[in-house]
Order: sequence, then structure tokens, then C-alpha cells
Amino acid sequence: MKLNGVSVEATGSLLDTVLAAGIALPHLCKDDNLPVIGACRTCLVEADGRIVAACSTPAAGVQECATDSERAVRIRRGVLELTAAMQSGPAGAAGGPRSAESLEAYASHAPRPGQYGLRSGTHADLSNPFFSFHEDACILCARCVTACQELQHIGAIGIAGRGHTARVTPGAGVSFRESICTSCGSCVAACPTSALRPKG
Amino acid sequence: MAAMARPLPPDFPIRSQLLARLYDEQRRAGWIAPGFADAIARELRLPVAEVWEAATSYADFRSAPLIGDEVRCAGLSCQLARGAFAEMPSEASHCLFRCYDAPATGGEEPFPAPMVRQAGPLLAPDITNTDRLNAARRLGRDAALNAVAESGLRGRGGAYFPVGTKWRAALEERRPIALVVNAEEGEPGVFKDRALLSLAPRRVVEGIAIAAFILEPAVIVVFANGQADPAVRSLEEALDIAEPQLDVAIVRGGGGYVLGEESALLNALEGRRPVPRTKPPYPVQSGLFGMPTVVNNIETFANLSVHFGDVPGFRTRGTPETPGTKILSVSGRVRLPGAYEVPLGVSLRKVVEQSGPAVAGEVAVLAGGPSGGFLSAGHLDVPLQPGILHATGAMLGAGGIVVLDAPGDIRDAALAMARFNAEESCGKCTPCREGTPRLYDLLAAGDVDGIDGLAEVIQFGSLCGLGQMAPGPVRSALHFWPGVFA
Repeated sequence: MKLNGVSVEATGSLLDTVLAAGIALPHLCKDDNLPVIGACRTCLVEADGRIVAACSTPAAGVQECATDSERAVRIRRGVLELTAAMQSGPAGAAGGPRSAESLEAYASHAPRPGQYGLRSGTHADLSNPFFSFHEDACILCARCVTACQELQHIGAIGIAGRGHTARVTPGAGVSFRESICTSCGSCVAACPTSALRPKG
Repeated sequence: MAAMARPLPPDFPIRSQLLARLYDEQRRAGWIAPGFADAIARELRLPVAEVWEAATSYADFRSAPLIGDEVRCAGLSCQLARGAFAEMPSEASHCLFRCYDAPATGGEEPFPAPMVRQAGPLLAPDITNTDRLNAARRLGRDAALNAVAESGLRGRGGAYFPVGTKWRAALEERRPIALVVNAEEGEPGVFKDRALLSLAPRRVVEGIAIAAFILEPAVIVVFANGQADPAVRSLEEALDIAEPQLDVAIVRGGGGYVLGEESALLNALEGRRPVPRTKPPYPVQSGLFGMPTVVNNIETFANLSVHFGDVPGFRTRGTPETPGTKILSVSGRVRLPGAYEVPLGVSLRKVVEQSGPAVAGEVAVLAGGPSGGFLSAGHLDVPLQPGILHATGAMLGAGGIVVLDAPGDIRDAALAMARFNAEESCGKCTPCREGTPRLYDLLAAGDVDGIDGLAEVIQFGSLCGLGQMAPGPVRSALHFWPGVFA
């Protein structure tokens, strides 16, 4: 297939192919350890004229893929502007090992500040001795929840509520400490922002 | 009141019991308490956070008791008839699917026969024997499958995917198949499945039997709208007298527009948060608990029965690409609201004129509901067929047609659709969850400059069709009547 005009070998998903070619592309809800989630929509590319999420699109069958088309970049920037507007917390809070992923995505796409008014949760859960959770940095990518449910098979956290009331929630509305969380750290390791923070 | 439901097979994964348990508790107690979630999690051996995800992800399930208010229909035609858009209490309101009876209050009722304004083979008096099933049986499985493919029948849920192609794809998996009968019908302004289930339930059941004969499914599940008691009762009565008997589970849903997305519906059946899955794999490859899964709509099953009653005749109605008839749900500013069964390809203007528009200004139409768009009086000479009716959003979809008074109704109607899409976003993907409330805000504030860019992000960025089509009502209203939003 052609990727940004250059012939490459198609491997797995379009995202796999793009990353194997050394091209940077945000993918805030796709983690190597986890199945495809498809929630963040930050890996949108133009494939044979259609805008698709690279993470969930098989590379086989695609003739031409562009990460850098004007339309793909414009729509990704729009998605990242909506994503950034979910975060009202202080910039630069120290997160887990993958927390720089969101910062890199913003840096590469220059979302216009204040394009959309802030719309974020405010709850913080400091009850766990090893980490804390801050809604004001959460982008609901569902990596933490997927790591807890499908990687660790614990199921201590879920996403409760529909639409813009959706929130990452332990148990049936209890704190992390009161939940069945084993403090394994998988959620903190998966988080692409500083919403889940190790305690120092 | 006992819920009308029939359990899934006992050898299904235990989490498949979750939705039914939550549904029963909501009906019994009026809400689902955290303590109930804890208890049910222990009993079904599920993590409580996963139970809580499901308990809080349906429109009709409440995490606090709801006191007071009578349920008033929140559908567009009832809001128009009431003339009070801003006053709608959002908690106790949802569509009652009686748009022919606007403004509706209370609950659902059996679809009244006089509201069939135009009948064709689907809405003709119900069948009394199984001649069409017998005809399919005489052909044999393979020939009957070929007949379905050659009929050109397309799914009537709104996407119009060729039924034969879907079935062949599932059969090619060569694994036990799940057949899911979609009786969820959750789009405000559409009441055609309720009409069929109330007035022609034996027709529907025969269609299910024909599909079961061809697909030989390991399990048949009806996913039935949680509010549609009269329609479900009618279906159960038809199932009780069906010969031969069909082994069918009935699961009642918890409400939510996203259940119109079939992979979200499958997640609901699995006891998971009802949000769309990424594709591939498609449900025909890996659907309900990984089984190759065929999901078809009530009206599609009724069409199967009609087809095997007159195989050569089926293609004489409708268009070559989309043969057969379609039930339109017509409401709004008309003297004759109700169900109109028309051959596909009929002119929209003809249907509107037949329904007796009663408007002060010009006639306008909302076609395709919250996922469709508006059309002005000058754009009604379009054939009703799958695909878009106008580039700004109007489409046939599930066949909802709301007649409006332009420009008087347009602003309220566009805002009502934008608000519906924002409230009904499932919350999984960022463009829809974050974008649709802002689209409403921009429209309400008359800040139309920012709408194009945001609409593009929602349309091309969203995960599922419901997000992708959410900008349609806003964009079409702005296109035809820019002045009313200034």
C-alpha cells in the first residue's frame, strides 16, 4: 500500500502500519497491551478517500492511506480540541508512565486553545494509598477500564452514566479504597493523561 | 406487573442474565440502588463495577427514585402539539410512540387499526395459517436462501443492507448462528414495528420461522423495547399459538437511541455497557458472545413472510434496487397522521399531500428523525428510497416523516433534534459525546459560524452511524432556513 505517498508493507491495522513506518500518529485509546477500543478517535486517517480510525481498520485492502492529508489533520485537530476541553486540571501534573502521550498529541496538532468551553468532571479520589484519580484530567478513553476488566480480569472500575455524564467509577459509586481494586497499577500504567497518578 | 420476557438459554454465559435482572428491578422498584447492584453482582459473579456500568447506561434505568410527574411524550410531534418546547421535564419524559395521538401522555397503547391510513401486504389483515412458511419449506433451505437473495429484500431497520448477503455471510462462518429479532424501535416518531406487532403479529412470527428454517440458528432472541408492553404482549400471544412452536427468548431493553446500533444492542444482550463496537469484526462474523449473528428488524421479518406468499410478485412493488413496500410513520402538522404502507420509490410529496398538511406557512418535512434532516417545500419531489434524500441530511431511515410549519416550527424542531442527539449520545467516543452538546449550544446561541467545523468533526470522527448522522438536522435546518437562527 501507499502511505503518505510512499510504498510500505501493510501489517495488521492501519495504525500498526503507520507506526511501523516510523510516522507519528496520536492513538490515545490504543495501547499495545489492550484490544482495540475505538473511543478517542485521535488516530483518524484518510484511507482511499474515507476518514477512518487507523486502530480499527485492517490495512489489508487499503490502497492509499494518508496521515497528513489536510482533511485528516483538520478533523484530528478538531477531535483533540474537544479532548483538551475535557481537561480543566492544572497543566503539568505528573502522571503515570504513558501520560506524555496526550501531551505529544496536543503538541503535534496545535489545538486552538479555548475553541470549546471546558466541560470536565471535578471529582478526585485520593483514597487509594498508591495512586489517585482526577476527573479533571480524564478524557474517557477507557484504557484504564479495559486494562482492569480485560487485561487483569479484576473489574474494579467501569464507566458509569451515558453521554456527557459518563465517568470512570469504581464499584457502584464507591471510592477506590472501598472497591475490589487490588492496587495492581495497570490502570495507572495505561492512562495517557495524568488522570490516574502514582502517589510519590 | 409481570414483565413480558422469556429467559435466554441456561447454557449462555451467566452475564447474559444481567439486563433482565436490572430491567425487572427497575420495573419493581422504580430505580436501581447501588445495594441491588452489589447483590446482583455477587449472585451473577460479576464485578460490581461492570454491573454498575450497565445499570447506569440506559435511558429508562434510574439510579435514584423518580417521584411525581406524569410521563409526557417528548417526541417531536407531541412537543409541537403542546407548543411548549422549553418546559419539557426531561426526567419523566420520553417518546410514547403514539405520534398519531399527539400530545400523548401516560403510557403505550396497542396500535389502533384506524391509524393504518394506507395498507399494503404488510399491514393487510393478519395471516391465519402458515402457507408462506410451508412454501419456503417446500423449496428447501438452499433454494429458499437463494429466493431471499434474489428477492432483493433489504433490511428495514434503516440501513437497507441486503438480507441475502447478510445471511450468507453468517452461514459461511459454518458455526452456530444467533438470530436476533430487533423489536427495540427507539426512534421518536417511528411506530411501524409497534403497528406490525399489534396488528400483524402472526405475519411477524411467520417471518421469524422462515428465517429460522433457513439459518437453523442455535438461539433466537427477540430484543424488545422495554416500554412497548402492548406490542410485546401481542407478539407473545402469536408465539404461543405458532405451529410449529418456535423456541424464542425475549429480552426487554432499558431504552436509549444507541440500541439502534446493532453492536450496542449485542453488548446489551451480553450484560455489558450498551455502546457500539469497532468493526471489523461485523456481527455476522462475531456477534453475540462471538457467534455469527444475524440481526434483522421486525418489518424485515414481516417482509419475508410477504415475499414467500408471492415470490414473483414481490419485485413488482418498489424499485429494482429496493423491492417491496415500506411502512412510513407520518405525524406532525397533518390531519391524517398514522402508518402509510407505500411502495419504495414513491414521491415524498405524494405522501405528504395524502396526509393532509395543515400549516400556517410553508410545508416542511423532517425525514429520518434525529439522524436525518429537514426538507423545504421545494425539495419534496424525491423518491423515498435508501440513501440520502438531500445532501444536508434528510434520509428515509426507519421511515419517520414529521410534517412541520416553516418557518414557524423550524427553530424549535432543530433544537429538539440537536438536544435529543446530545442526550442520547452513549458516551463512548469523543466527537459524539463532547461534540453533540456543543452543537446544541452553538445552535441555541445563534452562533452559526462555528457549526460547520464542529459538524464535520462529529460526522467524520464519530465511531458509529448515530454520531456520524447527528449533525444532519442542524445542518439541513441552517441550509434551508438560515434566518430563523439569527
